[in-house]
Amino acid sequence: MNSAELLQFVASGLQNGAVYALVALGFTLVYASTGIINFAQGEFFMLGGMLAVAGVRFGLPLPFAVLASVAGTAAIGLLFERVALRPRRDSGPLVLIIITIGGSMVMKSLARHAFGPNELTLPPFSPGDPIVLAGASIDRQVLWIWGLTIVAVIALTFLYSKTKLGRAMRACSLSHDAARLMGIDTARVVMISFGLAAALGALGGVAVAPLTQTAFDVGARAGLKGFAAAILGGLGNPIGAVVGGLVLGILESMSVAFISSTYKDAISLVILLAVLFLRPQGILGKRGREKV
Amino acid sequence: MRRRWIAGVVVLALSASFLAGCTKDEGAAGDGVTKEPYRIGAVLSLTGTYAGLGTPEKNAIELEVARLNEAGGINGHLVEVLYEDDATDPAKAVAGAARLIEQEEVLAIIGATGTGQTMAIRSEIARAGIPQVSMAGGSVVTADFDPLVFQTPWPNRTVVPFTLKALKERGLTKVAVISDTGGYGVDGHDIIVKEASAAGVEIVTEETFNPGDTDMTPQLTKIKAANPDVILMWSAGKEAAIVAKNMTQLGMKTPLVGSPGNGRKEFVEGAGASAEGFRFAAGKVLVPDAYGKESEAYKVATDFIARYTEAYDTAPDIFAGHAYDAFLVVSDALGRVEGDVTPASLRDAVENTSGLVGIGGTFTYTPEDHNGLTEDELVFYRVEGSTWVLDK
Amino acid sequence: MTGSWMRRIGGFALPLAACCLLAAVPLITNDRYLFKVLTFVGLNVIVVAGLALLFGFAGQISLGHAAFVGIGAYTCGYLTAVAGVPWPIAVLAGSVLAAFGGLLLAVPSLRLKGHYLAMATLGFNEIMSVLFVELRSITGGNDGLRGIPFASIGAWKIDTPSGNYLLVWAVAVVVLVLVGNVIRTRPGRAMRALHGSELGAMASGVDTRGLKIQVFALSAGLAGLAGALYASAVGFISPSTFSLEFSVLLIAMVVVGGTGSLAGPVTACVLLTLLPYADALIPGLSKDAVAVLQDWEADISGFAMILVLLFAPGGVAGLVRRAAAARRTSVREAA
Repeated sequence: MNSAELLQFVASGLQNGAVYALVALGFTLVYASTGIINFAQGEFFMLGGMLAVAGVRFGLPLPFAVLASVAGTAAIGLLFERVALRPRRDSGPLVLIIITIGGSMVMKSLARHAFGPNELTLPPFSPGDPIVLAGASIDRQVLWIWGLTIVAVIALTFLYSKTKLGRAMRACSLSHDAARLMGIDTARVVMISFGLAAALGALGGVAVAPLTQTAFDVGARAGLKGFAAAILGGLGNPIGAVVGGLVLGILESMSVAFISSTYKDAISLVILLAVLFLRPQGILGKRGREKV
Repeated sequence: MRRRWIAGVVVLALSASFLAGCTKDEGAAGDGVTKEPYRIGAVLSLTGTYAGLGTPEKNAIELEVARLNEAGGINGHLVEVLYEDDATDPAKAVAGAARLIEQEEVLAIIGATGTGQTMAIRSEIARAGIPQVSMAGGSVVTADFDPLVFQTPWPNRTVVPFTLKALKERGLTKVAVISDTGGYGVDGHDIIVKEASAAGVEIVTEETFNPGDTDMTPQLTKIKAANPDVILMWSAGKEAAIVAKNMTQLGMKTPLVGSPGNGRKEFVEGAGASAEGFRFAAGKVLVPDAYGKESEAYKVATDFIARYTEAYDTAPDIFAGHAYDAFLVVSDALGRVEGDVTPASLRDAVENTSGLVGIGGTFTYTPEDHNGLTEDELVFYRVEGSTWVLDK
Repeated sequence: MTGSWMRRIGGFALPLAACCLLAAVPLITNDRYLFKVLTFVGLNVIVVAGLALLFGFAGQISLGHAAFVGIGAYTCGYLTAVAGVPWPIAVLAGSVLAAFGGLLLAVPSLRLKGHYLAMATLGFNEIMSVLFVELRSITGGNDGLRGIPFASIGAWKIDTPSGNYLLVWAVAVVVLVLVGNVIRTRPGRAMRALHGSELGAMASGVDTRGLKIQVFALSAGLAGLAGALYASAVGFISPSTFSLEFSVLLIAMVVVGGTGSLAGPVTACVLLTLLPYADALIPGLSKDAVAVLQDWEADISGFAMILVLLFAPGGVAGLVRRAAAARRTSVREAA
């Protein structure tokens, strides 16, 4: 195996990994502010791609269709939180998690009713020949995926560290009660994190759709991979989500390269379980103590 | 508390009136015809993974039922098709088949969409002793012979040797195989491996991908290193378009050859410019000229394509064609039964189907062969200008 | 006085009446479709009973129970269809192997908390799904495993839908009584302590780790039992049945039913399983309505889950408890 081939495997891993990272960031944001796993996160990924296709078909220019789809999905995320989750926010995480499962079933099925059962195609953001980098060919759309992931991470870091909202979100992730006592509108913070999570999922879905097409049923798998990435990196840790996503992507492409393409998914899951058993807080997580 | 109860009552009332609305218009069919309608069951995957296959199948059957009944039905009997959605789940297919048999007392079952669902309902079919006409392409459907089970698509055991022969004719003898790990891909892969040496081609490397995978550049990078003459891909899902695009991305000029499952406009749309030059074997419906303009099959196919396109605003795909054929096989047999139509007499009539011109080919069943299609029904296609042309 | 009398009805007479009703169904009808549907309900009840114990009482989440159902189904299917092993032994083997799988997963996993446990069990489900497809010499791969014979004990063959229905529900009733007993006796109390606070339970001398592993293995074994019965009742199994979606639906049944209750999850399981088969129970339902129901099944289930949890956070059990409490208060006020 020469270095160009190896680089090609790495590029493939980073391509999938970046998409996993965007979905994982969504899981992480919601987990940090609410302590729940949002099982509808994968459906936000699906909606991102589907709404963009719908926008293009409606006649919107591609950039507007993409923006409208991300904004529209964010609005759906906000609405979902406000209508279905907020009334029960004191019922404990299990009830909320099952509500998100119900939400994901409804979103997936409604998407099938609205857009039909077949796969749909979104045009590439900037058509053209692939870029050759040190012997590895990279599709232009992959550069968009990487670029958008980097922008999302920088924007989130800025939001977390420099803005009032970010500080409020961090406070919420430590303790809702304490945050409320400090005068933070925790309900608003939770709602905004859902909106942001939906936007991140949609961004992943819309960025990858020109490469892979999209369909009503792509959400479950994206959610599974994103969840695995978030856990791998340490749930609730945004940097961890990104690292987890990239590591998962590379693990998969290396499994194809050196072991077996059939068992690729199983191999990465076995490694994930091994990490969980040996280091349950994830690669970057801190060892926590249970609060009594 | 009280508000909640009111909300509950409102929801209940709405759903009750909704169901009542659905129940209303029954008994409209059958004016002027006094004979009891023939009842046929159809088990289709209208939701779940195979929704994209089951939906055109249902469209095609509905279209043909309406046409047949407008023309007066069969020997004075109207035909009624009762649909069950198996949600791409074998257990639901079994329950659906049981309902059709027990509650609707159907004479035959068309279905299922997928191979797993088709095999799952076999025990129900056996107990009821009714004929089953499947639209699933898995070899196992008719290779694992059952006197009650018939099949309309070309199985891989017919398509694969035809495809390998076509490769050999074109001088493409070093073959790299890439297939998905779903039922269709595994079935195709196994037959490719078995038939390769007989067809005079050599398999230089094999790769797989899983349904839902989004990037096949690692597999293709490995294939590229093996330097094959041609890449033979066996997969029916949306991943096929990704393989084609990834090859362009890697600058691979190796020809890509696929399977009948790629004869869908979603594949050509998804792969875009990368689909150009893509070749695959399938029945003649995609380019009806292949039937021969004077042939009866040409008239049948162009008529169906025109009516389907008018009704659903899109051209029929191969799955719609398989469903058209399945309904045709059953309705043709119904017309040939002499005396009382019973499940047993209908089964015999289906088995005696001979020279029946459909979309997928001309069907002739025998007591040994319940697929009845040969390589003669297949042609080789090439994608050119985002549409299919014959690859001579 | 009235209160305790009513409670006795709830605790004893009501289940007894339900059993009589279940046993009487074959006397009323011979609709094989109805039996099939009710058989599926009974199988799900067996799984949900075990899951309610694990999740509702011991507080341990599992998103991998479909895999245990699959282990039971493939073990029983392979042993009876291919190896020719007698049915009772094959069912036992299926349950034991699933329980053993549960044990293997539980030992490292149960050190994990909440979401990490969810991920571990979910990963297990996905790995098993790959194996069900790839271990073709045993499972038949995507084509599935066919020709699984019906249940038989010696020369006595249970080959009618009504017979299978009675068999599955007889097992389900035994399982419910067993699980009910586990809950009411000392292990159940210990488990509830576990659910409340693990540290508290440990402080009061409960061996939490051993108990958690036992409960996990028991509930995996029950899932395997249901799988083994499924294999012989349907006669065909294929990998897609034992998917993550099924695992998630099972957990949803428990939560919609109400955690910390057995009757609630069982009720929710019956209702949610019957939803796509509404026409089995409502004979007059028109074909169009059935088609609409099937087309919108996922939407209806999803909305039902959301609405139940929005308006009755304790699930079905919580609703019943509240209704009973209101009744008692009003009785007391009248007196």
